[in-house]
Amino acid sequence: MTKTSVQQPLSPILIARVLRSPGEVFAAFAEQPPSAARVFFGFALWLVILPPLFAYIGTATFGWRLGVAPIELPGPVIAAISLAYFLLLLFGLFSTAAIARWMAKTYGARESFGASLALVAVVGVPLALGSAAHLYPHAFLNVIVLVPALIASMYLLYRGLPIVLGTEPGRGMLMASSLIAYLLVAWVSLLGLTVVLWSRGIGPRIGA
Amino acid sequence: MSAKAVLYEDRIVAAFTAAAIVWTLVGMAAGVYVAAELVWPELGFEQPWLSFGRLRTVHTHSVIFGFGVSALIGTAFYSVQRTSHVPLFAPRLAWFVFYAWQATCVLGALSLLAGVTASKEYAELEWPFDLAIAVAWISFGVVFFGTLARRKVGPIYISNWFYGALIIVVAMLHVVNSLALPATLTKSYSLYAGAQDAIVQWWYGHNAVGFLLTGGFLGMLYYFLPKQAEQPIWSYRLSIVAFWAFVYTYIWAGPHHLHYNAIPEWVQSLGVVMSLILLAPSWATMINGVMTVSGAWRKLRVDPALKFVVLSLAFYGLATFEGPMMSIRSVNMMSHFTEWTVGHVHSGALGWNALITFGTFYYLVPRLAGRPLWSIRLANTHFWLALAGVMLYVIAMWGAGVSQGLLWLTLDDLGEVRYGFVDVMAAMAPYYALRLVAGGLFLGGAALMAVNLWRTMGGFETVPAAPPTKTLAAEAGA
Repeated sequence: MTKTSVQQPLSPILIARVLRSPGEVFAAFAEQPPSAARVFFGFALWLVILPPLFAYIGTATFGWRLGVAPIELPGPVIAAISLAYFLLLLFGLFSTAAIARWMAKTYGARESFGASLALVAVVGVPLALGSAAHLYPHAFLNVIVLVPALIASMYLLYRGLPIVLGTEPGRGMLMASSLIAYLLVAWVSLLGLTVVLWSRGIGPRIGA
Repeated sequence: MSAKAVLYEDRIVAAFTAAAIVWTLVGMAAGVYVAAELVWPELGFEQPWLSFGRLRTVHTHSVIFGFGVSALIGTAFYSVQRTSHVPLFAPRLAWFVFYAWQATCVLGALSLLAGVTASKEYAELEWPFDLAIAVAWISFGVVFFGTLARRKVGPIYISNWFYGALIIVVAMLHVVNSLALPATLTKSYSLYAGAQDAIVQWWYGHNAVGFLLTGGFLGMLYYFLPKQAEQPIWSYRLSIVAFWAFVYTYIWAGPHHLHYNAIPEWVQSLGVVMSLILLAPSWATMINGVMTVSGAWRKLRVDPALKFVVLSLAFYGLATFEGPMMSIRSVNMMSHFTEWTVGHVHSGALGWNALITFGTFYYLVPRLAGRPLWSIRLANTHFWLALAGVMLYVIAMWGAGVSQGLLWLTLDDLGEVRYGFVDVMAAMAPYYALRLVAGGLFLGGAALMAVNLWRTMGGFETVPAAPPTKTLAAEAGA
């Protein structure tokens, strides 16, 4: 177990600790919940930047590959899509943390926005690292890499939630499942929203 | 003990449960086989009966009518007796339902393999089978409503409302959609023509999803979830409101299957509006279910059955959200005819229908057998296989569907379609392989369940169970 008096240092280096010994990271957050600002600027922000950055580099270099000839997009369009991706990830991070805190409040668990944000950020580590697959934006390659990353993230969520939010594992399982249900719905909404915008002519024109 | 004690009719429940499990394996194996054919087309061996077109209908027929309906009739017979405090009305007729239904499903599957089809989705069987289905279904209704009529409990518990709606609406849908002029024993012509035929077909098709795969299984949920959680339904009032909103709204939603087709635009728009409204009763039920489990969170760690039910609620929430969204015309423009739709159907069929049924069987079979589940570990393994299978399936189909939609809508400089059918089909191959893996995982889990439940049951003998001698005046479930 980690010591109680010293706050867990928050920097991108924490990624390595999450991969090596997630239990210790969760326990440290549980013992001394960090402030939301520390979590965000010290750790979460750097994770959230990775996927859009990889996506920008990959798309600009190789174009989208959906299994046929690559689809090339102009530079400003790629930048706009990457920016939108970044903003959506931010929304996902904060909304999921807000729901985690709301559930913690409802179920009488630890009610701290910083702790919730830290939990969501740590859970996102495998996905953020897996997003390195965006460097080569081949759709199927990304599915193949991101599915195991997603499984790892789900494992971290189920393992970490009861520790960080200080609740019993049975109840933690229920809360973690609810968060997954929210994320699934958010993901599907995003899919639908993107298609609506795209079919109304907002977004890149591909092919022509 | 009196000469003839009044006992619940449970052997028929065991028979339907066993049949449902056999159909699970048959139907899902057919699904896995057609998934493999999309990866290796040579698996058809140039045999017509092994071709994708015929085997796919055997897959949908076996899982919906063999597995789904057997599970629904079995659980309806189990729960209607216990919520009415009387044994089944006309038990011999109940056994007739069993044999008639199974014979229709087996012979129907063989006729599909032989290439006999009415060419209506989820209603492929030709007219002699349609008649047999009508007779068996009405007999099911007589047994069910006959039992309810003799009930010793005042109020009719909510699960019976859903099972009752299932019986009445599916009878109506089946009869109206199957009206046809027989030409020969194996060929008939629909009474409707052109666009009318399409509208009737999707009024049937969507409400088969609505009243069978949603409403019927909600009946199962409302009886077995509170039993498993050992908690009353969180809000009984909400369940009643959700029932009527559900029944009223669902019946209108069918035309969303026909967007941009030769049917009036207002009919399409009506389908969209009703599909969107449908989200409210669907989610009301989901919330009711989740809140009911919330009171039983201590059981989640030790009870594999309850885990299946919780997960099925999550997928129910996902599928009932995704469906209305996909009914919006500008989303449908891209999603229709793509694998996204296939993924959506399976998030409902595997994630909701199959998981809630598995959870129910893990609860039901030990009680029918009068002994604990043979292996909790095996059931837990099944849970993780099922979760991995359904997630992988849905993700593969999202990837495939969105790629497909984008590629189909990509135009070249002249405004022509840029990628041909073969180009897009070839691009799908890796997703199809992934889907095959996913289906294999899910089927493997179901096979573990079959072994586990067979070892638990060891036959068809059920422990005797009798109605309570004193009937409570209190409202059932309230």
